[in-house]
Amino acid sequence: MRLAGKRAFVTGGRQGIGRGIVDAFAAAGAAVTTCGRGDRPDGLEQSIIWYNLDVTDPQAVQDLASITDGTDVLVNNAGVQVEKTVADSTDADWDAVIGTNCRGVFNMCRAFIPLMPKGSSIINIGSISGNHADPSMALYNASKAFVHGLTRSIAVDHGPDIRCNAICPGWINTGMLEAGFDLAGDHKAARADALRRHPVRRFGQPADIAAMAVWLASDEAGFASGQMFTVDGGMTAASPLNPGLF
Amino acid sequence: MKLEGKTAFVTGGRGGIGRAIVARFLAEGAAVYAADLTPEGSLAAHDDDGSRFVQMNVADEAAVIAAMEQVQAEAGKLNILVNAAGIEIEKTIEETTLDDWNRSFAVNCTGTFLTSKYALPLMRAAAKSGTSASIINFGSYDGFIADPGLAAYCATKGAVHALTRAMACDHGPEGIRVNAICPGYIDTPMLQSFFDGDGSGGGGQNIEQLQQAVRDVHPMRTYGTPEDIANLVNWLASDEARYASGQLWVLDGGLSAQVQQMRL
Repeated sequence: MRLAGKRAFVTGGRQGIGRGIVDAFAAAGAAVTTCGRGDRPDGLEQSIIWYNLDVTDPQAVQDLASITDGTDVLVNNAGVQVEKTVADSTDADWDAVIGTNCRGVFNMCRAFIPLMPKGSSIINIGSISGNHADPSMALYNASKAFVHGLTRSIAVDHGPDIRCNAICPGWINTGMLEAGFDLAGDHKAARADALRRHPVRRFGQPADIAAMAVWLASDEAGFASGQMFTVDGGMTAASPLNPGLF
Repeated sequence: MKLEGKTAFVTGGRGGIGRAIVARFLAEGAAVYAADLTPEGSLAAHDDDGSRFVQMNVADEAAVIAAMEQVQAEAGKLNILVNAAGIEIEKTIEETTLDDWNRSFAVNCTGTFLTSKYALPLMRAAAKSGTSASIINFGSYDGFIADPGLAAYCATKGAVHALTRAMACDHGPEGIRVNAICPGYIDTPMLQSFFDGDGSGGGGQNIEQLQQAVRDVHPMRTYGTPEDIANLVNWLASDEARYASGQLWVLDGGLSAQVQQMRL
């Protein structure tokens, strides 16, 4: 039980990667609280506390932080994606993506850092898209680069007390990945091509990301801070220019 | 016991970081071969740690082949290879002799190449039999940003980073994962030598003041221990890391998250 005795707060725990992290933390012995917009999702283990929270609302985040009395592990996972170029993006797209992915992470960190004890750990969900651009994902790519920059800043400013790292998932089997494939003309061919770009020849599962999150939350990662940890099945180790796929 | 039933081979296995990795692997239930030039390695004190010692120069092709033949005969497979053998020559390129340069590359690059090359058939056997195969190379944060007076060392570590990605691409489809760990300042004989040396690390300063200054530059206000590195090696070696491949894992207490520090 590597997280026994630790309190963990995970945003966006309804589904996908967030739900994978919630389940893995609970299995590792943490007392887990999670949140999302709307009612408690079906099948969430009874011991896990659920809050209806919109992370884009600074007052709501502040109010919740004050009643939770802090946490030992904070995972900023809640995120949204809009598949558009800059030219196509609307003001509403900006508010949605930047509001959740950037301001939401900031709101949570600002509210919880003063309540986190020495030795605690913040884990932000960045993305490989924050380092290299995914096409037609302009605001999403930029929002994840923001997360990477904020991660380094928190590590540097709060280093003596709090470790802060980001996980950069590659292509993980979630609703978000399916939405990405929907952009392709030939859905099936796009999937096959994408698989061939992964040295391990499969997409990731939420549990693959959760395994890294458990490690970063644990005391074994006591010297890990300020870093972006990519878990992508080897995809970004290979050049995107792959003559074998021509 | 994350590594029960697995066989591991650690080069530099009697050095500062290597010993911590060997100890951790043994604690996690693996059968461990510790390869080094001498049973003592870079630490004077020698204790029988429960690993099987293999006398081997990683840059000597015949010695590497013989070592892998021994593993083949005794274990029949290899799940984990850690290329931790490394040397550091504290010089600028102007001070570096051709012999210094060649020795640096022989151990840090050729050693990683040869040991991986001859371990691959054994690791493929492990992957085919349904158990995991993971190679962990030793890069360095110096492969990304240079420490002064370590020119050849920085270059060898940049080479290890590129080799790591290449190996991950080539052997991922065979079920072999390849990653590199990039340590920052870790309390080892190598770091003490850097502090003591007359290169830019030492230079006659009071060593305790120098160590404190180095700690103060770190966001976490400390440098790391070999056990901190062994923690991540253990994760990368384990099945939990089954989707982790082709990456360079920096573990430096936040050091390289910063830009240069202004002295105010």
